[in-house]
Amino acid sequence: MTVVSGKRAVTGAGTSGLANDFAAAGNQLMTKVLLIEDDSETAEEITAELVDRGFEVEWSANGIEGLTKARSSRPDAMIVDRLLPGMDGLTVVEALRKDQVRTPVLVLSALGAVDDRVRGLRMGGDDYLTKPFALVELVARVEALLRRPAESRETTLRAGPLELDLIERTAKRGDRLIDLLPREFRLLEYMMQRSDQLLTRAMLLEEVWNYKFVPATNLVDVHMGRLRHKVDGPGDVPMIHNVRGAGFILRTGP
Amino acid sequence: MRQAQIIRSNIFHRALTVAGVFATFVIVLFGFIYWQTDQYLIARSDRMITRQLNVIAALAGERQLNAIDEHLRQDSRGVQYAGLFAADGSRITGNLEQLPAELKMNDSVQSLSVVRTLAASREIRVIRAIARRVPNGDALVIGREVDETREISHVVGQALALGLLPAFCLCLLAGAWLSKRAQERVEEVNQRVQRIIAGDLRERLPYRDVDDPFSKLAAIVNGMLDEMETMIHALAGVGNDIAHDLRTPLTRARLALERGRTNATTLEQLQTVADKAVANIDQSLTIITALLRLAEIENSRRSAAFGNVPLHEMLREVCDIYEPIAENKNINLRVEVGHRLNVRGDRDLLLEAVANLVDNAIKFTPEGGKVAIELLRGDGETIIRVTDTGSGISEQEREAVLRRFYRSDKIRSTPGVGLGLNLVAAIVKLHGFRLAIHSGQGGRLEIICPDKQE
Repeated sequence: MTVVSGKRAVTGAGTSGLANDFAAAGNQLMTKVLLIEDDSETAEEITAELVDRGFEVEWSANGIEGLTKARSSRPDAMIVDRLLPGMDGLTVVEALRKDQVRTPVLVLSALGAVDDRVRGLRMGGDDYLTKPFALVELVARVEALLRRPAESRETTLRAGPLELDLIERTAKRGDRLIDLLPREFRLLEYMMQRSDQLLTRAMLLEEVWNYKFVPATNLVDVHMGRLRHKVDGPGDVPMIHNVRGAGFILRTGP
Repeated sequence: MRQAQIIRSNIFHRALTVAGVFATFVIVLFGFIYWQTDQYLIARSDRMITRQLNVIAALAGERQLNAIDEHLRQDSRGVQYAGLFAADGSRITGNLEQLPAELKMNDSVQSLSVVRTLAASREIRVIRAIARRVPNGDALVIGREVDETREISHVVGQALALGLLPAFCLCLLAGAWLSKRAQERVEEVNQRVQRIIAGDLRERLPYRDVDDPFSKLAAIVNGMLDEMETMIHALAGVGNDIAHDLRTPLTRARLALERGRTNATTLEQLQTVADKAVANIDQSLTIITALLRLAEIENSRRSAAFGNVPLHEMLREVCDIYEPIAENKNINLRVEVGHRLNVRGDRDLLLEAVANLVDNAIKFTPEGGKVAIELLRGDGETIIRVTDTGSGISEQEREAVLRRFYRSDKIRSTPGVGLGLNLVAAIVKLHGFRLAIHSGQGGRLEIICPDKQE
């Protein structure tokens, strides 16, 4: 998942300073993200945010250069704008996939330009995000891509004191049985597979509710409130945390 | 110029062709009748002269001569011919000057030309004649001019002149008139279309009566123009609406940032200002997203992704999703699904439409109220009904809300809702369903899905 920073190829102009500073700070094992985005201002903001979160970022301003970098420097994840000079973002992804490169990709697509090709990314384990987006959302999705739960044949899911029996459809916190409705069970299952990760409302809507749209009401908050009420009983250490303006985290540690 | 146009016109050409075909047909018909009548008359005449020959030939000597004279005397019209010639060819009696050379003495009727001597002149006539050599060696000739044929041809000619010529002329006139009329209407349509092109969107094509195909076409085009006019007006309106809706939060964001930049003295104050600005910008983006989504749905054709959507399951799911929200507001949300009903459509879009309706219903229903989702079977249609005990929609608003792009000021002030119903309407339209909004106390909205004939 991580690479030794010494193997890193040339980083993109304009952002190299930030990335290098971070690398120079002695962090030897960093997750490398390749950003292919033609708008330099957007790219700078994204780079700065990712660097703040401890990623190493490489930037390419066009598709062809991006593809070359993706092949040479083997990043852990890629953020690709769909509309690029030289080569369309989706074409870059397709070219990589043809070379059997399985690097997870987050495609940035313009609003209203989400077609079947873009939607298809989710089926392939990649993801897409429509512009404009919140940086928090972008980071959460990159993290989610990097920490995709491995295919597991386990019938019991564990996260901290929580235990989920996927066959019996029962949930326990320690010895206490938690009575969950089917939807709550699915929500908790999703959160436990991605414990200690920030899950945004949009991600939850897409994955748990299978919603292709953003409802007017804060559906997620209401459902999450009920789940939290059941999971974090009186006297328990709270596990479900609301990250203001971003989403939710199921924390397993203290 | 105008005449030339009429003559060149398609309709005129067709009229001319029809007239020609008609004339040919009439001429052939008359010709056939003439020919048949002629044949009949000749056959009758032939039988007559054969009989006369037999009668006269059976007589002898003086009586034969008398019979010939008598025969000729009785002929008031001057069509009978008879002659008795001696064996050497000299005339014994009759009105034939000489024995026609080509006449065969074989008892068969033949056509031949003879010279007829009248008081003033000699005329050559074509007659039917039969000849026989009687026992005493004389040659007996009986002939008859079939003058009825001439009369018939005269009558036929007259009939043609009186009937066909006027009919032909009438055809041409009708053709010219129709072509002129068509051209006038095309010209009229053209003038009106030019006015529409020039920007007069209220102009419509002329419409006369229901049975006229041209009027039918005009009605269809007028329907299209109505729709386009509404859309163009709506688009013009929506431009203003969008500008207004976007300007409001952007102005707030701008003011907050401007004031914050000048007045904020601590990081915390600056963060509060930034949060406010971000929230306002997010609202602008939400509006843009909703508009783009609306455009996406409205522009998409009936998609190939349509499948069988089990409405009973979908409605239960919507209820399942909104139950906690209703409960938080102390609203009784229930779903009544009597039958298992399927429709053809896009499941995600239909779910979005129903979710929007339920979302609205919960939002506009005061605490302690009720919201119900029902699945009903109507007459040849499936109905999804969402009712609530809220304030309902007034009659004026009902009209307005169904209009494209319309957002009432009252609705616009409630966040997120303004475009919701538009979205529902767009989804419903895409599926070929209907959205019924009932006015009065308590909201009642229905998505009516007519059964498709497949």
